[in-house]
Formats: sequence, C-alpha cells, structure tokens
Amino acid sequence: MSEAAIQLRGVCKRYPHFSLRGINLDVPDGTVLGLIGPNGAGKSTLLRILMGLVRADSGRVTVLGREMPAAERWIKARAGFVSEDMALYGAATLAWHMQLVSDMYEGWDPALASDLVDRFHLDPSQPVRGLSRGQHVKAMLLLAMARRADVLILDEPTAGLDPVVRHEILMLLAATRSQRRALIFSSHYGDDVATLADNVAFVHGGSLIAHAPVGQLLVGGRSLEQVFLAQVAVLEGRAA
Amino acid sequence: MNARMILRLVRKDCWLMRWPIAAYIFAAIAGLALTAWGGAMGKSAGITLALNVLIGVSFHVMLGPVLGERERKTLAFVMSLPVTPGDAALAKLTSAFTLFLIPATIAATALVWLAPVDIPAAMAASHRPLWSHLLGTLGYYAVVLGAWLLFFSVVLGAAIVSESIGWTIAVLTGLLFVLGNFALQVLPTLPGVGRYMRALGRGQAALPITIACELVAIAAIVGIILMLQRRKTSFV
Repeated sequence: MSEAAIQLRGVCKRYPHFSLRGINLDVPDGTVLGLIGPNGAGKSTLLRILMGLVRADSGRVTVLGREMPAAERWIKARAGFVSEDMALYGAATLAWHMQLVSDMYEGWDPALASDLVDRFHLDPSQPVRGLSRGQHVKAMLLLAMARRADVLILDEPTAGLDPVVRHEILMLLAATRSQRRALIFSSHYGDDVATLADNVAFVHGGSLIAHAPVGQLLVGGRSLEQVFLAQVAVLEGRAA
Repeated sequence: MNARMILRLVRKDCWLMRWPIAAYIFAAIAGLALTAWGGAMGKSAGITLALNVLIGVSFHVMLGPVLGERERKTLAFVMSLPVTPGDAALAKLTSAFTLFLIPATIAATALVWLAPVDIPAAMAASHRPLWSHLLGTLGYYAVVLGAWLLFFSVVLGAAIVSESIGWTIAVLTGLLFVLGNFALQVLPTLPGVGRYMRALGRGQAALPITIACELVAIAAIVGIILMLQRRKTSFV
C-alpha cells in the first residue's frame, strides 16, 4: 500500500457556532481527492488546517510525512494553496507576484510559469485588479503550480467561473496530475469531482460522512450530488 | 524565525506602500521647511502639517499592510507562502515600524521646534560648548520621536491583536484625545510634572531616563503583540 501524502487523524476544530469533529482522512500518494459538501459543512476549515492557516484543536495532521504545524514551513514550501476566499494584490501585476513567489521557492520553474501564462492567456504586465474572476483564479493557480508543488490544496477553485474557464482549469489539473504527489480539492460541482478525483469524501455538519473511490459511488446512473443527498437523508433518518 | 522570508515580506509591504510613503515624506519635508523658515505663521502651519503626517501615516500603515491584508483577502495568500505565523507577525511589525519611521523621523524634526526652550537662543546665550547643545537637541528629538513611536506601537498592537478597523480607530482616537488634552495640557500643570518637563527641556538627566522608559515600553508592547500572536489559532 502506498504511503499517504496527506493524513488526518481525529482532527477537531471548534468554533462558537460550528465544529469540525474527529476527521480521519487519507490521501494516498499519486491520487486526487475531491471534497463535496454544502456551504458551512467544514470543507474550507479542513483545507485550511492542512495548509496551516487554521490550527486544529486536537488530532494529527501529516502532509508528505511531516506533521503540521511543527513542520509548517517545510510543508508550505512543498504545497500550493488556492482558495476562492483568497486574493492577490490588486495594485501589483502578475509579473510582480511571480517574482515574489519565485524568490521564495527553490522549485520555481520559470519555463512552466511561462507555459502557464500562455496556456491561460494571461498578461503578466496587467495589474491584478484588472483581471476577471476567471483570470484571477488562473493567476493563483499559476503561482501555485509553477513552484512545482508536491501537493495541491484547492478550496473551490472553480466556484463562480463560467463553464469554459472551469473546463480549462479541470483539464489542466488532470493533464498535470503526474507532476505532483497529491491533489485535494473541494467543490460544489459533483461533475468536477467525478472528472478529476480518484476518491471522494462527503463532508456534512462538520463530519466526514463517507469516503470512497468515485467509481464505487457512481453506480446506477446517479450523480455524486444525488449520492451525497441520499447519504445525508440516511444520516438524518429520512428515506433515501 | 526565517530572516530571508521575513525580509521578503517586509520588502513586499514597502513596495506596495511606496507611493503613499513618498507622499508622506514630501509632506513631512514641507512641514519641516515651513517650521524652519516660514516665520511665525509658517512655524504653526509646519507643526500642524508634521502632526498630520504622523497621524496620517499611522492610519495609512494600519489600514494598508496591517489590517488591509485581511480585508482584501491577501492574508491567505501570504500565509500560504513558506512562513510561520511568527515569521509573518515579525515581518508585519518590521514593515509597519519601517514605513512609519521614514516620514515620522522627518516630521518629528519639525516638532523639535516645539521644545520648551528656544534652542538657537539658548545656544547663543549659554557659554557651554556646541556639542552639549547638539547632544541636548538630539536627546529632545529622541524623546519626541520615541513618544510618537510609543503612540504608534499602541495603535499597532490594537490593530494586530484586535484585527478590527473599528477598534484600531477607537484606540487611535482615544490616544489622540489623551495626548492632546491630558498629556499636553493637564499634565504640565501638575507641580512635579512641570518640574520634570522643564528638566527635560534643559536636557538634564530626565532625558536619558525618558528615552529609556519609552524604549522599554515599546519593547514591552512588541513582546506582548508577539506573545498574543503566538496564541492565535486562525490566520485568515
């Protein structure tokens, strides 16, 4: 069995009106995991804990064999993070951001960065405030991918994007999956998860209610959204 | 602590704030020139301009690199870089103090003209050597700058710890009220304090004591900020 690139054991995080409870999760090396769940289910908190942006109250978080937050700097040097709730500096250009990030990462690949600029049709000299939502997401993905991150952590990267840009981003992530050890991402779109992920985890009310290979859940012509709703109905004692 | 990453974050903040800081430096130089060569009216205008630079740059640094990161959602980007929360807090403190100190150093020079003694006249009247006057003036300058740095540290502490624009403005306004009314008007009328302030003006032992107290207070505030920062569990 391959080593888990990402491992969570009994991870809890309590907020005044929300709690993430006892999360146990493995993302094996070379695989893609999609998280599905409604707003406020705990997907973003989970991904933020993985990236060290939020500290878990209890439990163990291991990324690439090292524990968070003890090896925070080491993990962040090998992980790329993009979130719909994250922004670049509006007054600065994409070229400025690329310079900033390349100065901080030994693995920065200028050729890959240049290739992604072309592939995404971005203008590095354009100030970020002039970018559309789709271009902004592409710019953040470029910054995360050109550092040759071993692990990509994406929090709803395709939220609010038009279908064309969404498709472009999914295709790029699929085409480059061999370049990294793991990808974990959250999405409201079951189709995105079905396209990209090997495994899917359903998050509901701060708990992980299911975790299985995508193919195992996509039976009987049901979509992942339908499977998720059925799982929630069973959990809440309603008829599936 | 990763000095290389901290330096990069400081450089980032300085670059992003380069135009406002350039404007504050220009205003501070104008205030200094007015205070020095503008006659009685110019002196008054110059000192007002210098005070406004100090208040303005404090506001700008708080709302820009300190609180603006969270407001503009760039904090998640910064925290996703290979830095710890401690590195990020230290970088933020360094860039905030750097950005404040550049125009504040010039503006504080104008405020030295507010000294309780007329420095050039006192120099001409006394038979003490020039270096002792220079030392006294520099000491007084350090006290003025130190007081502003202390003021800035308290506001910076409020901004970093509360992460709230509202609370930061409340602390800043409260401090201005205390400084404007209590420290400058009420305090000097108290007999002991009046004597102390006159001694300060004459550059006696009160000067180094005051400077030392200011530095200790600033160091204590920075220490408290870093300690509270270490206890945080959310960085976005």
